[in-house]
Amino acid sequence: MKLELGNFHVEDIEFGNETTFNDGLLTIDKEEALEVVYKDEHITEADLKIVKPGDMVRLVPVKEAIEPRYREEGGPVFPGVTGDLMQAGDGRTLAMKDMSVLVVGKHWGGFQDGLIDMGGEGAKYTYFSQLKNVVLVADTDEDFEKHEQQKKNRALRWAGMRLSEYLGKALKDKEPDEVETYTLDPITKRSEEVSELPSVVMVMQPQSQMEEPGYNDLNYGWDTNNMLPTFMHPNEVLDGAMISGSFMPCSSKWSTYDMQNFPLIRRLYEEHGETINFIGVIMSNLNVAMEQKERSAQFVAQMAKSLGADAALVAEEGYGNPDADYIGCLVALEDAGVKTVGVSNEATGRDGGSQPLVSLDPKADALVSTGNVSELIKLPPMDTVIGELEALARDGLSGGWDDDEVLGSSVKKDGSIVMENNSMFCGDQIAGWSTKTMKEY
Amino acid sequence: MSKAIVYLNQFFGQIGGEDVADHEPEIRDKKVGAAMLYDQLLDADVTHTIICGDNFVGSKEEEAIDRILGFLEDKEFDIFFAGPAFQAGRYGNACGAIGKAVKEEFDVPVISSMNEENPGVDMYKKDIYIFPGGQSAAKMKDDVTKMVEFGNKILNGEKLLPAEEEGYFIRGIRHQYFLPDETPAYERAIDMLLKKINNEEYVSELPIPELDTVKIADPIEDLSKITVALVTSGGIVPIDNPDRIQSASATRWGKYYIDDVDQLQNRRQEAFKTIHAGYDPAAADTDPNRVVPVDAMRKYEEVGKIGKLYKYFYSTVGTGTTQGEAARMGQEITEELLEDGVQAVILTST
Repeated sequence: MKLELGNFHVEDIEFGNETTFNDGLLTIDKEEALEVVYKDEHITEADLKIVKPGDMVRLVPVKEAIEPRYREEGGPVFPGVTGDLMQAGDGRTLAMKDMSVLVVGKHWGGFQDGLIDMGGEGAKYTYFSQLKNVVLVADTDEDFEKHEQQKKNRALRWAGMRLSEYLGKALKDKEPDEVETYTLDPITKRSEEVSELPSVVMVMQPQSQMEEPGYNDLNYGWDTNNMLPTFMHPNEVLDGAMISGSFMPCSSKWSTYDMQNFPLIRRLYEEHGETINFIGVIMSNLNVAMEQKERSAQFVAQMAKSLGADAALVAEEGYGNPDADYIGCLVALEDAGVKTVGVSNEATGRDGGSQPLVSLDPKADALVSTGNVSELIKLPPMDTVIGELEALARDGLSGGWDDDEVLGSSVKKDGSIVMENNSMFCGDQIAGWSTKTMKEY
Repeated sequence: MSKAIVYLNQFFGQIGGEDVADHEPEIRDKKVGAAMLYDQLLDADVTHTIICGDNFVGSKEEEAIDRILGFLEDKEFDIFFAGPAFQAGRYGNACGAIGKAVKEEFDVPVISSMNEENPGVDMYKKDIYIFPGGQSAAKMKDDVTKMVEFGNKILNGEKLLPAEEEGYFIRGIRHQYFLPDETPAYERAIDMLLKKINNEEYVSELPIPELDTVKIADPIEDLSKITVALVTSGGIVPIDNPDRIQSASATRWGKYYIDDVDQLQNRRQEAFKTIHAGYDPAAADTDPNRVVPVDAMRKYEEVGKIGKLYKYFYSTVGTGTTQGEAARMGQEITEELLEDGVQAVILTST
């Protein structure tokens, strides 16, 4: 399997008469782009905005981030989701770098939605403030969940994917700025030189804890709740096989953009053939019942062992209850003789004094920490809000509240906010970008 | 100008030595002894000095705290210092207990200093800032300087850095921290993974406290020929507490001869009592055999269930005692028992 990612660096974005990409400039025909968004009759209102790093703009409730791409040989960017099922990870895919499509609710938010500040002191809390973003801000007629804390956000998330594919088409027949090539020989067919290096697997635990369909991360369109751990080629993850779901406090989530760019996978690729033999990805999941958690951990450990892995990196998309899956998986791997490093965030409370993970085990002796979900963050008002600021307080966002005995509402009259890190959009960057760690104070 | 209050024991408060360790708590509206040093270095006025004997706090902790909080009720202060306590266990305990109470009641920063061997560190590092200090008063100036430098940062509203940079003992309080060099998690993860693969040292970003679990011993098949000892953390001692075992956070143990008795006589009989400060002593003072069951063991001897009850019982106090101190005392006691051919121990707690 050989994936070529043709990168186009987007230097600027503007609206114009035709959607084109030329010399780093992405021009968007807004009307045509919105037609693509409105293809789903459930979209009732939609608009596009452009935001750039440093803009004094606050976006909330943010539901999804996607990198616009184009599959050169044809077929959907997200197989099994935006089109027919096909093999991802083999061939050439063109990608718009340094930008994303952000999907923001025009009014309504939920537990899983987040906030992004493009400028000011709040910018450091999310990855997406560093990118130029095309913002789809829209509303839907999904009234059944309008006042639900847990939202599937189906119409909006799919509109974001359609919009990303539409923008990606502007790259058709263009020559990329650079081409990244990702290839691994079949495990049993690798050169002696490579085979002798320590073998490493990447274990991903995408969010899959909702029993009802429509909330969980999808693997080629398949609900990861219905999945046992399975072996995947890392190229599949980097090429649209995995899409983000709509469940879990937002700072712990992986957006679809995170999946497409998964930094831990890319970094393992860099080491492949140099210091390690990168075996591939064991795609696990996160569960509710103890037996499900144990079953997944058992599958992961068995698979790692059978694949001959000497070491593993485990990353958990979530915190709280799924910490039991995370620690359980780390322990199962260590017990199987696989040297393991875990990557996740912590929940030590606003005062920092709580137990960092729900489950702890001395065998989890090599952990990278990417943030504290309950860190209290106060931010001044912003010139512009895209979406609806009140959603942070009103709609049950995981890091917002409408009334707190001491802190009052998350949203103040002057537009300033007080919130928990929980609602920073994919803020703990567990996919690997996080420049945060945890320290004793 | 901000205001500070300093807590000192009888020695550093210039009352006297061990002979006045029962000195009752008092507050003076001036700088006494070590409080002068604080005043010189601090960006605040030291308005009062609180002085209390170490034994007073040790034996009447609750009363000491109540009285000291009472002194402070009508005082204005922005910061509170206790110690430094160096390696003095009772003083460390006092600084911790008083400091914790002041922190909880008045919500001001409380800073102390203790030597790492001082049991007060483990007991109170979660509650107040404790800086690692010297072993003795020779380090007074260094220790106070460290405390005051940090205190000044707080008073001046400066950004406080993580514990490892400020220097105080970690408290189990974890907050997120943006790495100044912006090393992303993927680099840290790969670095840690390669080090772990190559058996090199690495530092986990979330250290998990090692659980020191002790395997349960195999059962003894035949008790009828062996000597069994009674050991307790329930604080049963002869009524004059000859080994001066502390009522809390014990660092000492004692052994008491029982070969000539069928059961322990009680407090009214001026024999045994409990000095344990962690439970209601009424029942144990009335019948110390309920904590150290000499009476029951004698019955077992009679019927031949056990060979013999060992001639001494061992006692210490378990409340607030650090795991480190408890392990040390346990080892010391075990050495003696093994030397004297004791093959089994019944350990009673409360």
